[in-house]
Amino acid sequence: MNTIIKFLLAAGLALGCGTASSLDLGEELKKAVKEGVQQQIEATTGGSSRSALPGLGSTSQEDEIAIGRQIAGNLLGASALVKDARLQKYVNNVGRWVASQSERPDLPWHFGVIESNDVNAFAAPGGYIFLTRGLYRLLRNEAELAGVLGHEIGHVIRQHHLKILQQSRLVDLGGKLLAKQVGGSDKVQQLIGSGAEVVARSLDKNAEFEADRIAVVLATRSGYDAFALPEVLQQIGHFAKDDGSVALLFKTHPHPDDRLEKLGGSMSDRFDGIKGQTLATRFYRIKP
Amino acid sequence: MKLIRLGFMLGALMAIPAHAAETGTALKADAIKAEPFNDARTVATLAAGDKVEIVKKNGGWLQVKSAKGKGWVRMLSVRKGEARKGTGYAAGLLGMASGRAGTGKVVATTGIRGLNEEELKSAQFNATELQLAESYATGKPEAQKFAAQGKLVARKFDYLSAPE
Repeated sequence: MNTIIKFLLAAGLALGCGTASSLDLGEELKKAVKEGVQQQIEATTGGSSRSALPGLGSTSQEDEIAIGRQIAGNLLGASALVKDARLQKYVNNVGRWVASQSERPDLPWHFGVIESNDVNAFAAPGGYIFLTRGLYRLLRNEAELAGVLGHEIGHVIRQHHLKILQQSRLVDLGGKLLAKQVGGSDKVQQLIGSGAEVVARSLDKNAEFEADRIAVVLATRSGYDAFALPEVLQQIGHFAKDDGSVALLFKTHPHPDDRLEKLGGSMSDRFDGIKGQTLATRFYRIKP
Repeated sequence: MKLIRLGFMLGALMAIPAHAAETGTALKADAIKAEPFNDARTVATLAAGDKVEIVKKNGGWLQVKSAKGKGWVRMLSVRKGEARKGTGYAAGLLGMASGRAGTGKVVATTGIRGLNEEELKSAQFNATELQLAESYATGKPEAQKFAAQGKLVARKFDYLSAPE
């Protein structure tokens, strides 16, 4: 399927499910998206019925957060937090500032660094974001941290993972369970599959490129150097493809070279003359 | 030769990424400008794969020397270090340097355990860690204060569209 159509369909699903949330889309997009929902429903139900629609209308922001919370708890079951309270607080300070420049500033954003020497970062719906110690160690300043968190914030605000869940599970289940079960973690767990596997799934390549574009813009809006995320991508690109610490990252993301190239095409001259801070001195460093 | 030198250097640094090595490779064709501005005079044009030596950085621009000329090129048009390689000689050396002995044919799953899909799939909900994570949350006003301390000023900037 044409990727643009696929994207529209995904966006359509999200809007259908997000009527109770604070999504703010332009009228034109809304229209396109409505059509997308209809197509998707027809594709899912073989065009025979519209009965999936009420189910689709039920992922409220509350539910989105409940899903994300469950995934975050599972992820932390696989990898605990780095036991450094100052580090965790610092990452939340930077992350919340960057997220405040997005169109979803009022989500209950949470950020954390987890114990793993892998180089990776994860986003779960509703604003739960984690990066590994291995990735944090690569960073050289606060702007680079802001860039990395901005990419994950991009996934959250565009509901990339939620859409995957909606496509694979909610549509099948009619979404009914979810609406009523904010507190019931067993029911939520049923919907997200096993453990935290959803964060290990590959998103559409275009979702990754989109998150990169969002990251440099949010960093700029926050007063940081826009070119900090590209610097991190440069560094990640230095890892050999067969280095185990980047295995999952490389499997689930386009190669950093491709991300740089795409980002270059979008950024073009838009950032000329825009200065931002890197804040290398304030950056909280952890022991290797 | 450069490849080998880079490999050895990385080996010596125990797999610290090569940001110390100030060479680069053009990711795509792009102009070398006399100054770090879009409308500056074009000195030469780099082709994808051209090697450059990176002199310094200025915003989104890198000052480079290349066989084709000297000047400024957009940072995102240049890949620092060697261009992407498969499992070549340098990759093998990198593998060795990071503790995975290999000849460039090392499989990612040997030895080192990371956060792989299996672990994520079988992960069990950890309420204690989650509550700890949530205890570090920063509120919007607090984030604002934190930004002010770093002299970060919020500014408007539109989202970017996808290239073509």
